[in-house]
Amino acid sequence: MAVWPSNPRLIGTRIPRIDGLGKASGRTKYPSDVRPEGTLFGVMLYSPYAHAKVKSIDTTAAEKMPGVKAVHVIAGAGKTLRYQGDDIAAVAAETEEQARDAARAIQVDYEVLPHVVTESQATAENAPQIVRDAGNQRRGRATVKGKPEEDMAKADVTIEATYSLPVITHVCLETHGLTARWDDSDHITAWASTQAVGPTASQLADAMKLPASNVRVLTEVMGGGFGSKFGPDVWGITAAELSKKAGGRPVRMFLDRIQEHLAAGNRPSAIGKVKLGASKDGKLVAMIAETTGVGGISRGAQFPLPYIYMDVPASRTHTDIFVNCGDARAMRAPGHPQGCAIMEAAMDDLADKLGIDPLEFRLKNLPPDDFKTPVYMAEVKMGAELIGWSANRQPRGQNGKGPIRRGLGMALHTWGGGGAKDKQVACIINPDGSVEVRSATQDLGTGARTVLAIITAELLGLKVSDVKSNIGDSSFPPGQNSGGSTTTPSMSPPTFSAVSEARDELFKRIAPGLNAQPADLTLKDGQVLVKGEAKMSWKDACRKLGMMPISVTGKFQEGLSSVGVGGCQFADVSVDIETGVVKINKMVAIQDTGLIIDKLTWESQVYGGVIGGLNYGLFEERVMDPTTGVMLNPDMELYKLAGASDIPEIIVRAYEPDEVKARGVIGVGEPPTVSTAAAIGNAVTNAIGVRVTEWPMSPRNVLNALAKASKEGKA
Amino acid sequence: MTEHDPKPKGGPAGAASGHSRRDFLRGSGLAAASAVLTGPATVALDEAKAAESDPKVLSGDVRISLKVNGEERSCTVEPRSTLLDTLRNRLDVTGPKRVCDRASCGACTTIIDGDPVYSCTTLAVACQGKKIETLESFDTGEKGVPHAFHQNDGLMCGYCTPGFVTACKALLDENPNPSLEDVKRGLDGNICRCGTYIGVFQAALAAAKAMKGA
Repeated sequence: MAVWPSNPRLIGTRIPRIDGLGKASGRTKYPSDVRPEGTLFGVMLYSPYAHAKVKSIDTTAAEKMPGVKAVHVIAGAGKTLRYQGDDIAAVAAETEEQARDAARAIQVDYEVLPHVVTESQATAENAPQIVRDAGNQRRGRATVKGKPEEDMAKADVTIEATYSLPVITHVCLETHGLTARWDDSDHITAWASTQAVGPTASQLADAMKLPASNVRVLTEVMGGGFGSKFGPDVWGITAAELSKKAGGRPVRMFLDRIQEHLAAGNRPSAIGKVKLGASKDGKLVAMIAETTGVGGISRGAQFPLPYIYMDVPASRTHTDIFVNCGDARAMRAPGHPQGCAIMEAAMDDLADKLGIDPLEFRLKNLPPDDFKTPVYMAEVKMGAELIGWSANRQPRGQNGKGPIRRGLGMALHTWGGGGAKDKQVACIINPDGSVEVRSATQDLGTGARTVLAIITAELLGLKVSDVKSNIGDSSFPPGQNSGGSTTTPSMSPPTFSAVSEARDELFKRIAPGLNAQPADLTLKDGQVLVKGEAKMSWKDACRKLGMMPISVTGKFQEGLSSVGVGGCQFADVSVDIETGVVKINKMVAIQDTGLIIDKLTWESQVYGGVIGGLNYGLFEERVMDPTTGVMLNPDMELYKLAGASDIPEIIVRAYEPDEVKARGVIGVGEPPTVSTAAAIGNAVTNAIGVRVTEWPMSPRNVLNALAKASKEGKA
Repeated sequence: MTEHDPKPKGGPAGAASGHSRRDFLRGSGLAAASAVLTGPATVALDEAKAAESDPKVLSGDVRISLKVNGEERSCTVEPRSTLLDTLRNRLDVTGPKRVCDRASCGACTTIIDGDPVYSCTTLAVACQGKKIETLESFDTGEKGVPHAFHQNDGLMCGYCTPGFVTACKALLDENPNPSLEDVKRGLDGNICRCGTYIGVFQAALAAAKAMKGA
């Protein structure tokens, strides 16, 4: 079994990302910035209706417009458009302005059909049947463990409540898309904003009926994906079609902001009717949950529940509800933020009813045999100290009498992470001393490119800047698709293997010239050492390779990576009970992710996860208009996202004792975004004394909760 | 520059009256044309003069010249072409990014005559004679804003970063000693989706320090 160096020089330190200056100086070309010679601009025409049939489509006028080089119809006569934003046709023209005009000039005669765009519309009596005959729903079978009804009846204390979270969209700043060029009659090059260069290439090849090896996808950098960019999509294939029609000229096709919101993915909603029971001494005894969620026109909306806590008799029934909206896609820790918010709200409400500190209640109910339990115990202790839990937290509703109420809340989360075992990395050591690692993975902004360079430099005794980390090219050895926090744990072991083997090969080839055995050689600070003594510079040693570079492809090895993490977050908020405005004073995030390769970019991932969760907790919501069936906020002003002034103090700590580090690399993209919205919801509830059951914690939802409680005489 | 007499020769009566997109273009186009001769400070005055004089409109293809990062660049645009699309699609200046395309997110921030503006809602024809600076012209050395963003990891995917770097530069040019609160206010016109704000704040404060040579 392989092991990471025990006293690393670079691993675990704070190393600025190697592509950072290019990005920060505007010099790096993103896929949407690339304009190969002769580029035409593509524009999509998409459905203005939530549900309609194309009676006829006429592109004659569009084809005659100035600058137009190609028109492609996706939804011809008779095709049904299933949501606002569904693809109809596309145009490629010399300028983007001309392409927009031409797309607008395509004549479509629609038969508008009845729609449902909200959960209540979809489940109403006599609702139009948009997908299935069974009431626009797919009811899952109940998952039952034990006899929860019987145990619930024996519980000393129970709570029952319905909690809900809205649909949110990914809002990738670089919209989905690619630029496709037919290089000749049977080769395509595409510059794509994707999380998966390999699958994007193979799907494009398949759609264009080319051998996979004839399509090359390049993604040097990309402007955010969050789980929504794993293939060429209809618009990417359309770009290739348009390019073909335009004699191979490159066609640049990136969605506009509106279609990005409508058609390029979203996180499903979640509604959970939860009954949770405990004994007087604060032990969970049973859980009964009925949940629903909206995942779009065809996707499910599953999420984990029960979540984290010990395995008690439980039943869960989940129903997916279909609406005339774009389909859900994986979004940063798919399912977990929803499951976490619902579970942790119920846990808090039950702790309150029991009169137990919710922190103690959680610790009491961690699963006894889980390896993560001691991790949670230690993390909660760290977090409680950093937020000042015992000094600053009052029992629910006992936070003063003025209009501004302060409250504290917390939540726990988990995530798998871990890596694939079938990925490859090539390491090339050239006779001029230059070193390159290659793999068909990509860097979404996580720092994956830098991670490969750090590992390489660590093992070769070089500086990070001495290593060329080449990723984002589908023609390289197969690398990991960037999803599920799996990139670093998938790519680190084969990088370790490739570089170690390349180094050993170098030792074998230069040892005779140094009158030494390969086993006597080591590398440090750009020098080759024989039995610990510097004998030759790295460059001179590589020169001994003559004309023949070293090229090794490395594979997975056991011992370098692991799966499964835990973390906790705490929120300190102030709520104005007259306006409903929530202000976050401070967040604390404690996270374990095994061995950390780059502490600087690791911290950025955790900050980013917390801020993503803050958006989910306070601001984000896709608003559909039931009457017209359209989205009311497909933009970046009414679709609310945090700006600089919304950012509180955020304290991030890694939980990384030696035994955690020894687990190897795990991955951190997702876990730190899971419990933020849950912790914020609990803090708001603690502050104002009544449960806000609906996320986000917007003024409307906070005031509604207060009004409801007041009506019921509770507040 | 192609300029036309706006008075309708054949069109329907009243086409030239009331508020139209044409009137708007006329104002901004002429103001810019005058600015070439008289300098940026007199734009308001030029607007007033333009309103009095025989108005002109622009339509169709317009050949313009823009001073971008110290270089005079010519290209053909339409009167409706935004500065952002002109920079990106016609001049290959792709530092500023198109994200929201309606002045909400700041990714397209460009400095015009010293002020940060959203180039996605600024017409290219209105920028003639003005000094247009994008982040590609910034100092990439240790005293520059890009360096501070790099060192403090004030970026992840990096797509909002050009806008933040540009807004930060404009902020520091005006206020070389910002507090954290000043930084937040100065960057409030920009949105990041990866959640890089903490690194951005640290970068802005570090850049302020570096610029002073501390």
